[in-house]
Amino acid sequence: MRRDTLAALRADLAAKRPVVLAVDLASGSSRLVHPAGGDEGVDPALLSAARQAAADDQSRRWDGPGGPMFLRVYNPPVKLVIVGAVHIAQALAPMARLAGYDVAVVDPRRSFATEERFQGVELVREWPDEALARLGLGPRTAVVTMTHDPKIDDPALVAALRAPVFYIGCLGSKKTQAARRERLARQGFDEAALARLHGPVGLPIGAVSTAEIAVSILSELVSCLRQGSASR
Amino acid sequence: MTAEDLYQEALVRLARERAGAGRLEGPGGSATLDNPLCGDRVTVEVRLAGGRIEAVAHRVHGCVLCEASASLLGSGARGLTPAQVEAARGAVEALLRQGTPPPEAPLGGLSVFTPVRNVPSRHTCVLLPFDALRAAVSGAKG
Repeated sequence: MRRDTLAALRADLAAKRPVVLAVDLASGSSRLVHPAGGDEGVDPALLSAARQAAADDQSRRWDGPGGPMFLRVYNPPVKLVIVGAVHIAQALAPMARLAGYDVAVVDPRRSFATEERFQGVELVREWPDEALARLGLGPRTAVVTMTHDPKIDDPALVAALRAPVFYIGCLGSKKTQAARRERLARQGFDEAALARLHGPVGLPIGAVSTAEIAVSILSELVSCLRQGSASR
Repeated sequence: MTAEDLYQEALVRLARERAGAGRLEGPGGSATLDNPLCGDRVTVEVRLAGGRIEAVAHRVHGCVLCEASASLLGSGARGLTPAQVEAARGAVEALLRQGTPPPEAPLGGLSVFTPVRNVPSRHTCVLLPFDALRAAVSGAKG
């Protein structure tokens, strides 16, 4: 790999931009292809293959018109945005970090969102509508709401439903979920949109303790990430 | 319908009016206050002229009570002096803490918050916009 290619790759990794390193298997030469586009002189077939590989989050061999290539995917880490600096979030945040995800905890309630309760986690003490716009919600983002307070949870869900996030989880009982869906329906979200909400949140593994509930949430999130749906 | 219900409805209506919601061009003073327990956050901007509030605007992230309180200030705070802001704040606090019927001057309509008297944990929701207005006025020039 040329030094300038390596430098550009490192810059992409630092900026958390998805990028694919395309290596010509015959010559060994390589170049970067950004799924978002904007690269000069990229063969459209290569761009399309790189986009697919990035979307699948899977590096692969690709037999292009110019010969075989290896497409090495460098996706930024999955981002988990937890809305609500509550008890379960204290268990979920470190677990998600162990799984390799970037974690941000959003809660405008400063008495909950403290460094003591969330060491080493990005804490955002803002309202979710502003915080989520700033954090950016993309196809590799998951949002889980946990405050039990509609005035804080609902703006987060509205932002998440308007974005291509791969997972939206809502803590709360079946009764709470029904009321929540009614409120969101009044804001103009149809059945198809509301079907993206996972609530009650988590896979049904009989979780009882706080940490077990966090496991069930993380499991559902992984299932949606890797299998495209929650395997109930 | 009980008087309590009527007041609740009046509160919701007041909140929905969102009187004064927005920003001011070139505010003379502004303050943002929040309640760390419930997350309510209020920014109030004022412009003073001749020792009185000439214009006021607010942005609220909060519950209906907080929104209603800000809306009441948005429609009624213009023309008040800093001392009258203090008096209005005192009147709403006396209503919440002791149930003292509020006077109609210098700021009318405070009795809408009477039902909140029975819920001490929510007093801050009503007081937060008043505190933000007070802070904005005290830091304002003019």
